[in-house]
Amino acid sequence: MLADVEKYLYREVRLLDERRFEEWTDLFTKDGYYWVPAYPNQTDPFKNVSIFFDDREVMRTRLSRLDHPNIHAQKPHSRTVHIVSNIEIDEKHDVEGEILVHSTLQMMEFRLDKQTHYGGRAQHLLVKSGDGFKLKWKRVDLINCDGAFEPLAIPF
Amino acid sequence: MTAYDTNTLRGLVQPDRVHRDFYIDPEVFDIEMERIFGRIWLFVGHTSQVPNNGDYLTTTVARQPVIMSRDRNGDVHVMFNRCTHRGSQVCLEQFGNTKRFECPYHAWVFNTDGSFAGAPYPKGYEEGFLEKEKLDLVKLPRMEIYRGFVFVSLSTDVPDIDEFLGPMKDHIDAFCDRSPVGEVEACAGVFRYRYDGNWKLQMENQTDVYHIMFTHVSTTDEDGKQFRREGAEEDEAGKVKVLAKNSRLDDQWEEHPLGGHRHGHVYMGRFAMDKKNSGPVYDRYKASMEEAYGDRAEENMTVRTHNSIFYPHWSIQHLTQHIRVMNPISVDRTENIIIPLKLKGAPEEMWHAALRSNNNSHSPSGMVMSDDMEVWVRCHEGLKTQSTDWVVLARGMNEKFTGDNTGTYESHGTSESGARNQQLAWVDYMCGES
Repeated sequence: MLADVEKYLYREVRLLDERRFEEWTDLFTKDGYYWVPAYPNQTDPFKNVSIFFDDREVMRTRLSRLDHPNIHAQKPHSRTVHIVSNIEIDEKHDVEGEILVHSTLQMMEFRLDKQTHYGGRAQHLLVKSGDGFKLKWKRVDLINCDGAFEPLAIPF
Repeated sequence: MTAYDTNTLRGLVQPDRVHRDFYIDPEVFDIEMERIFGRIWLFVGHTSQVPNNGDYLTTTVARQPVIMSRDRNGDVHVMFNRCTHRGSQVCLEQFGNTKRFECPYHAWVFNTDGSFAGAPYPKGYEEGFLEKEKLDLVKLPRMEIYRGFVFVSLSTDVPDIDEFLGPMKDHIDAFCDRSPVGEVEACAGVFRYRYDGNWKLQMENQTDVYHIMFTHVSTTDEDGKQFRREGAEEDEAGKVKVLAKNSRLDDQWEEHPLGGHRHGHVYMGRFAMDKKNSGPVYDRYKASMEEAYGDRAEENMTVRTHNSIFYPHWSIQHLTQHIRVMNPISVDRTENIIIPLKLKGAPEEMWHAALRSNNNSHSPSGMVMSDDMEVWVRCHEGLKTQSTDWVVLARGMNEKFTGDNTGTYESHGTSESGARNQQLAWVDYMCGES
């Protein structure tokens, strides 16, 4: 089981690094979301602002924009590499058909002679779907979530 | 020895153009900090950011670290974040609640109203010294609060706040009066980001209609509409019409109302929406507004301005529902603080929609903000070249103004009148005439 989960997470971030954004969006269930809170220890995305809080519709808008010929903030594009490690299945999460996964996540981004390094803890809620999984949500808690940022484009 | 006297400063701003040193010269920046930011009303925060007694937040005012706190009696204070002993900042948390501020160096303590509460081993001082010396945390020289908006100045010699805000006060009222209880709440935290560019590039950009359909073209769908900015129903209402079918620059934008007032304040009229708000959530909002305001409900619910840009460094974004603060760090570095505002008493669904709209457009990953920041950085870099000294802001110079560009005026469309109005105020402040 852990091996399958690891394989899934590695592929999930590889899709982002390979700019296969449509395929990445399709990993999520219909009601799936991607959440990056702007403060530590958040429990409710409607309580405070979020760096990302994308349902499928916003994801599509955001990620199709990344392929727009005139997305100025991404001309030239960022190159990214995501590193997922310390993957653990949450033994206490006891919901039929669901797997809650904890991991550490880093993203290195290079654009215009500048390399930026982001890191934090990630959680994925996977639901069994056919032979594989669908992503009910992915949450990333950056260590600098309440810091001052420069513009972000690629999901963590 | 400065290279700038009143004449050289005045010479940087021509009627239809400005010299690149206006944006990129560190010496000009230093003079701005003294003559503009040092002598004018600046925005610190909203009282609802410190709702409970003992709440505080830390921020900067013209590069100086400050604390805004609510004391044990409920009064709000703004004071310099500097121990009156050896100068250490007494608090570094972004926000929190406390009984006292304690300096990390020698544990001097201060109450939440800034008053000195004691120093360890007081016998080491001559008798009566601690009582006699003024050791309270130093307050900003002036502070005024209008409908929860907290203003301070770094000099006591500033105009009356009512005179300074002038007709812009109505813009604060208009925002607050969209709430059935006439109050806004900054209760969702803030976004902060920084870019490598001069603060004025952003101030001018906020009044620039001309860039919207070009800089932000990648935010539009195949019908030329942007994502939803307003309204809680799942329909087309609240989506901004950016592009027309056959043209990027159509009559919609050329008719767009702009305007401004003296002291450099400007505003942009409301953007065209695809569809009027309607639906069950909106109906509930309408009912609560009618109950609160009677005949004035419709007027209070109508958003008339897209933004209101208060010179020199903050704005109300009415549509996206936030306060935006531009804090200069250096000539080529600026920090933004985005403070989303809830309309107190309006349906919760509307607040959720506004919060999501802020996440989508003006978070660090915001689809609108990121393209803007890219442009300001590119401008700042481009202006370093010796190609030409002048930045041309002549658009709309041929239009018939209502007003004379030194007081209240009205303009329209893609005119660069807003930037010019800010620049006229800049000359007044820098050359000592405001």
